[in-house]
Amino acid sequence: MRNSKCEARNIRNKIVGLFLLLAVFLPGAGAGDQGSGELAALEERQKSLRSKIEALRDEQDFLLFQKSMYSADSKYLILNIRKNTGQLKYKNRLLKDFHFVPSKNFPAGALKPGMLVLTKKIEDKNKRPALMFGSSFILQGKKRKPSPEQAKLPYISVTKRDMRSLFFAVEEGALAYIVR
Amino acid sequence: MMKNVKRKEKNVYWLVIVIMLTMSYAPARAGETSASTVEELRAEVQALEQEAARLEEENSGLRGMLLNDLDNDELYLVVDTEGNRLTMRKGNEVLHTAVCGTGSRQSMKAETGTKWYFETPMGSFKVLGKERNPVWIRPDWSYAEENMPVPPPGDPDRIVRGVLGKYALILGNGYKIHGTKWKKLLGTHFTHGCVSLGDDDLELVHDSVKIGTRVYLY
Repeated sequence: MRNSKCEARNIRNKIVGLFLLLAVFLPGAGAGDQGSGELAALEERQKSLRSKIEALRDEQDFLLFQKSMYSADSKYLILNIRKNTGQLKYKNRLLKDFHFVPSKNFPAGALKPGMLVLTKKIEDKNKRPALMFGSSFILQGKKRKPSPEQAKLPYISVTKRDMRSLFFAVEEGALAYIVR
Repeated sequence: MMKNVKRKEKNVYWLVIVIMLTMSYAPARAGETSASTVEELRAEVQALEQEAARLEEENSGLRGMLLNDLDNDELYLVVDTEGNRLTMRKGNEVLHTAVCGTGSRQSMKAETGTKWYFETPMGSFKVLGKERNPVWIRPDWSYAEENMPVPPPGDPDRIVRGVLGKYALILGNGYKIHGTKWKKLLGTHFTHGCVSLGDDDLELVHDSVKIGTRVYLY
C-alpha cells in the first residue's frame, strides 16, 4: 500500500517536472501573438497609404490638367460636385463662379474626378441653352425641360443668367474637370 | 497492480509529451508563416511609402509652378458680354461687380456698301491707357448711322466731347471701357462694341486699375 502511494507521488512529481519543462517552451507562443500584432499594424498602414496614394494621384491629375490649361487658349470649367460649385476659367484666371443644383439622378457618388469634354451645345425650341457632356450629364438653366432623348441623362442646373453666360463663353470641345 | 500503475504512468508520459510537442510546435509554425507575411508586407509598405513621397514631391513642385503663374496679388477685370457684367477681381476674390453695356450684336450697311457688325471683342486684353475727360473721335459708322456724309480722317468735326463720361480705359483697336449718357440701357447689349459703365462704377474701376492691368472679355 505504502509502495503504491510512493509510486503515485513519484508519477505526480514527474508530471510536474514535465509541465515545468513545458513552461519553458510556452514563451514561443507569445512570439506568434506579437507577429500578428505587427501584421495588423502593417495592414492598417498599407490601407492608409493606398488611399493616400489614390488621393495624391487624383490631385496630380488635376494639377497637370490646370498646368496644360494655363498654356492653352480656351476657356474651361471646373465643377466641384461635393460643394455644387463651378468656375469658368481662362488660363490661370477665374472669370466666373457659379452654383449648381444636381438632379435627383445625378451620379455624384459614381462620377470620378477627371476631365470631361463638352460634346454639344444645345438650344431647345424656346432658345433655352444647355451644355452636354457626352453621356455623363447636361448643364442647363433652371426649369428647362429636356427633349425625350436627353431626359434620361442626369443634369445640373444653374440660373438662367449664368447659363446664358456659360453657353456663350464656351465652345464645343471645351474641357471641364470634375473635382470632389 | 504494479503493472497497472506502470502502464498508467507510461500513458501519462506520452500524453504530456504530445501536449508539449503540440504547444511548442504550433506557435513556432504560426510564427514562421506570419514572419514571412510580415516581411512581405513590410517591403510593400516601404514601397508604398516611397511612392507616396514621390507623388507628394511632384505635386508640391506642380503646385509651386501653378502658384507662380497665378500672380494672386494682381487685380484684373472680367467682362461677361452675355450677362453684361463687369467684375473686378484679385486672385479668386471678387472686389466689385458692375452692370455694364456691351456690343449690340447688330449689323449695319452704309449706302456705300460698307458693313459693320457691332460686337464687343472677346479675349485677353490689357489696359493700354487711362484717360480723363476723354474725347470721342466719331468713326465712319456714326455718320453712316445718321445718313450724314463721312468727313475725312482727322477732321475736327469728328471730335466730340462729354459723351464718354469722365474716364476711359483704352483696350486697343478703338475699343474702350467708358461712361455713357444712356444709363437706362446699362445691363443690355446697346453699344457699338465698347464696354459702357455707370459713373460711379467707372470712377472706381478707373482709380483701381493701372496701365497693363489685364482685361478678360468673354
